[in-house]
Amino acid sequence: MDYIREHYLTLLLTSIYVAGCLYIGWHFKKKAKRGVEGYFVAKREIPGWVISLAFFSTSASTNTYIGQAGISFEYGLSWAWMGLIWTFFCVISWQLLGPRMRYQTARLNSYTIPDYFHLRYKSNLAKSIRVLSAFIILFATIWYMVGIAKGCAHVLTSVLDITYEYGAFAIIFITCVYTIWGGMYSVLWTDAIQGIIMFGVAILMLMIPFIYLGGVDNVMESISMTEHLTKSGKPIGNGLVVFGKLVSFLYILGIGLSIGMKQISEPKNLIRFYSINNAKSMKFAMIWTPVFLGVSLVCVMGLGALVHGMTTVEEANYLINNTDEVIGFMLNKFDNRLVSGICVAGLFAAGMSSLASVIIIIGTAFVNDIWHAVKPMPVAKIIPRTKWVMGIYCLMVYIFTLYPMAGIVELTAFAGAVFAASFFPAIFGGLYFKWGTDLGAISSMVVGMLVNIIWRFGFRFNYPALEDVHEIIPAFLFALITYFVVSLLSKNRRPDEKHLSNVFD
Amino acid sequence: MDFLSLFPYIGIVLLVIINAVLVMKRDIKVDRSGDDIQTK
Repeated sequence: MDYIREHYLTLLLTSIYVAGCLYIGWHFKKKAKRGVEGYFVAKREIPGWVISLAFFSTSASTNTYIGQAGISFEYGLSWAWMGLIWTFFCVISWQLLGPRMRYQTARLNSYTIPDYFHLRYKSNLAKSIRVLSAFIILFATIWYMVGIAKGCAHVLTSVLDITYEYGAFAIIFITCVYTIWGGMYSVLWTDAIQGIIMFGVAILMLMIPFIYLGGVDNVMESISMTEHLTKSGKPIGNGLVVFGKLVSFLYILGIGLSIGMKQISEPKNLIRFYSINNAKSMKFAMIWTPVFLGVSLVCVMGLGALVHGMTTVEEANYLINNTDEVIGFMLNKFDNRLVSGICVAGLFAAGMSSLASVIIIIGTAFVNDIWHAVKPMPVAKIIPRTKWVMGIYCLMVYIFTLYPMAGIVELTAFAGAVFAASFFPAIFGGLYFKWGTDLGAISSMVVGMLVNIIWRFGFRFNYPALEDVHEIIPAFLFALITYFVVSLLSKNRRPDEKHLSNVFD
Repeated sequence: MDFLSLFPYIGIVLLVIINAVLVMKRDIKVDRSGDDIQTK
């Protein structure tokens, strides 16, 4: 009873939110199972404001609201540059890729990113690209999902005193259920609701340190010169407000690129373009998605730094080594049940929107782009098998969540680097260059993967000068160059003019 | 707070404004069966 008395508001708000998501999933159950086009891309009939919010909410997750926000506790306000880099790539994604992707995928009857490669480059080798890219998705996504589930579980532990194991189970299970029920309809509409919540919560969370400390001046005074210590035990001093003092710009750039560039390469983002219903919606989303993302990131990215003003020296010493717990600490310290309840709902929204998006990508990648591509199955079996795979994958994620492998930020960054380097050249080339070939695409993918792995495990941490050079930088450059060079050298492999005319004209 | 620490906040605002202007100037069309088919 004491537990209920203490947590009733947070439980109530969270329950309303969860019930809403499950209702949406249930509501679209029948519509989603009518056909593959419905289940996979919601029949390309979704309005722009839904897609815009969905893109925003899927881009920002608990990795952002907890991991990124928390890490600025260690790195200071310099970390806000991450927000600028992300917003920049959001703009690039919508300006460069959005309209063309929507156009070509409708022309090709494409339902996934891997099958876009197959249909666009049109060859047996292109089928191998489809299967390879699906494997890359399966490999890279699990790290990302584990990171999100871990973040959400921490929130549940610090705010609702629910054990980590139960918290992780709840978040994964609930998301899995409504995603399996409603397919892409469910994913997009819950994402849109979650986006609205996340936007509001970002602004609300930013207000907390200012309210707690009694105004802007007090906050700035408390963080401009602090006796708190860095991880290595040195005084932070004015490092929180001086650019580059606690973290190198190169490191910020690396993480920023690897996460920001996911918006121009990761299937969970790009698949949004498939579902937009018309040109007016596309324009709306092109304008408003960067606004939603940019404003939210402005609020969230420097938040950890501000929390220094709310901590004692002992608390700061603990949190500097556990930055994933900074936001939970902030909510606890502020000690307002309504605010905590709303923020917890927002943090769940952040996590679940991204989780749902990748769950459906996993299902479609495995069933449509590996299984069906290699051994075609009756169309009627595609959706049921996709649902089963989604369920099994979620179970695997849960197990890995109980035994996570690395910090949230680094996990996400590596997955992002893999996608950006392996996928972007083949997508961009496919959209813009008639002379792009299947060989160019697959070469760039392989090179992107290899350089990522070799740089990270063979070079980066073996040479001090390279430590801050994130693997995404060389991997992306090498992959892009590979695409251009190999495509130009294999011009004879380009699809026939009739096909290219259908795709481009 | 120095200028470079402040810059991201200003930069994001400028970026979304410039983006909005560019989008409004563009002629966007998407394909759906029966609709116009050209994109820019």
